[in-house]
Formats: sequence, C-alpha cells, structure tokens
Amino acid sequence: MTHLTMGQLVELRDGTTEPGTAAAQDHVAQCAHCQAELERLHQRVARLKALSTLKPPRDRWPVIRAQTTAVRRRRLAWGGVGSLALAASVTLMIFLRPQPDVLPTAPNPQAELEAAMLTSQLLEEALTEYDPERRVTDGYTARVVAELEDRISALDQELQVVELAPDPTVDRQLLQLWRQRVGLMDALVNVHLTRASNVGL
Amino acid sequence: MNAYPLADADRVVARARRGDPAALEALYRAFEVPVYNVARRVCRSVEDAEDVLQETFLEVARSIGKYRGDGSVWGWIRAIAASKALMRLRRNRYRETEELHEDVTPYRREDGLLRMDLEAALERLPDVSRAVVWLHDVEGYTHAEIGEMMGKTTSFSKSQLARAHERLRRWLGEEMAV
Repeated sequence: MTHLTMGQLVELRDGTTEPGTAAAQDHVAQCAHCQAELERLHQRVARLKALSTLKPPRDRWPVIRAQTTAVRRRRLAWGGVGSLALAASVTLMIFLRPQPDVLPTAPNPQAELEAAMLTSQLLEEALTEYDPERRVTDGYTARVVAELEDRISALDQELQVVELAPDPTVDRQLLQLWRQRVGLMDALVNVHLTRASNVGL
Repeated sequence: MNAYPLADADRVVARARRGDPAALEALYRAFEVPVYNVARRVCRSVEDAEDVLQETFLEVARSIGKYRGDGSVWGWIRAIAASKALMRLRRNRYRETEELHEDVTPYRREDGLLRMDLEAALERLPDVSRAVVWLHDVEGYTHAEIGEMMGKTTSFSKSQLARAHERLRRWLGEEMAV
C-alpha cells in the first residue's frame, strides 16, 4: 500500500481543499499507518506551539527611544521651536483654509491625513521641548492654555470615536478633525511662545 | 499565540499616533516579548533577533499613522516583525546546505530510539524551512501570506513546510516502520 506523503498529510491537517484531498481522506480512514502519522503531525505542531516563549536578553527601549527622538530632533533642527511655530502657522493656513461643503477630490487623501498627523506630532514635540509645566504663567495665559487643552482633549476623544467607526465617510471626517487638532496645537504653541517672548524668556 | 492583551489598546494607539512617547513605550512593553519570540524563532542568532526587535519598533514609531485599526494592533506589529525577520534572513545570506543541517547528533531515548529535542531540531532546520514552520504552524500565517512575505510562491511555502516536517519527524525519532 502506498502511504500519504508528508505534503498530503500537511494538506489534510490544514483542512485545505486541494485536488486529491478527498482521496487522501479516504485513504487515511482505511490506513492505520497514515492515521498515526497524521496524529503525530498534530502532536508535533501542538508541541511547537507549546515551546517556551523566548525573551529578549536586554531592554532595547532606551535605544529605540533615543533613535525615535533623534529622528524627531532632526525634523525640528531646521528652525527650532520658533521656526516650527512659523512653519506650523503656514501649515495651519493650508489646513484651515475655508473648506467647501464638499471637499475637493484630494490627489492623495491619505497623504494629507499623514501630513496633518505629522504636523500634530511635531507641535507636540515643540511643546515638550518648551516644557511649559516648568514655567511660570500669568493668569490670563493660564486660562487660555487651559481652554485650549480642554478643547484638544475633547477633540482627541472625538478622534478616537471616529477612528474606530466602520464608516466610509470616516476618512473625510478624520482629516477635518486632524486639521482642527493641528489648529488648536498651533494656537497652544503660539500662546506659550508669545508669552515667552513678552517676558524675555 | 494570536492575541496579546494591551489594556485600552485603542486609546494607547491613538496617543501614539499623536506622538506621545509614553504611548509608544506602552506598545513596546506590551509586545516586546512576542515580537522578540517571533524574531528569535525565525532568525538564528540572539543578536539578529534583538536587531529585528529594534527595527520593528522603529518602524512602528514611523508608521503608526498608517495603522488604520483594520486588524488587531498585535497582528499589525507581528506582520512588521515577521517581515523584518525575513529580510534579516535574506540579508545574512545563510547558505542552506543539507550537509550542514543533517549533521546533527540525536540522542538515545530510554526506549532505545534516537531522537532530538524539539527545540534543538527546530533550531537545526534550514533557515527558510524553520521560518515557514514557525510562521505557518505557530503564528498561523497562510502559505499565500508567507509566500508573499518571502517573495516566493504559495507552493514554495507548502513544499518547505512538508520538507521541514519530514526532517523533524526523522530527527525526533518519530518515523514508523512501513
């Protein structure tokens, strides 16, 4: 009797419907040898899955963090925070220009979305660099900052809902929300920078 | 090994997309072990696996904006890790010679049969075969997906898997008299 090849046994185990699978199933039903081979295959795979999880010998996060930070710094290096705010303002003008009711067909909506997200990330980075938590702020500035931060927080929640919605209009909505976020972040950066320049920091 | 828990994954991903470094670290902490495990099972050395771990999360940091939540975040990160690990295999240009990998010494079991430990047998498989076994049998990738990741055909993946199991059966002392 000709027994099944390993290839046929693997096909049977995977439950694929290749030509000849039915014949192979018929053979296994009658052949104790191939039944045993198939069972061994199942057991071998089960043992593979049960192999212990291998763990990294050392923490790589510090290296990854340093590299991601270095990449962001390079992006910022061309002008520092002030130039970044200026650039962000230009970006802001692009993103927040009056929008028609129906957005024109963008050449690449995904690219626009990614650009908005990148700008948002850069502005976050600018804020981190400025480190507003460690600076003394007057009451008026504090109120404006708090209001902007509240609006950003609310927008983030809205973004999260939209990002999870299985809706075909989400892309457009997402882009609009990200544009709004860039606008608010830009305003927040500007408030801090204006205040810093006024007091000569 | 298809799902790893990350409390509040959607929120963490959303924060990472907005450039929050703490969120990126949370992703790293949640998935560093499974990513390393995939990398180490595919690659031959600890050093290569560590490099793949690092490259994977640098790619995650770069591309988190492109993750649209179509599948689980672990599925997305794992695909990056598998791709990086396979690229590393190609780059290293390991030469698969039957002689090298067949030249292993099984040990004698109590029942008298020669066999190797499964861990050792897996380690001694040729690189591509080992990668296919792990990605298909453990991680659950289809032959079509593996073929695509390797730049090969579906049939290539299938034949590699069959050959790998023939070797494992032999090395593990599971062969039956016909």
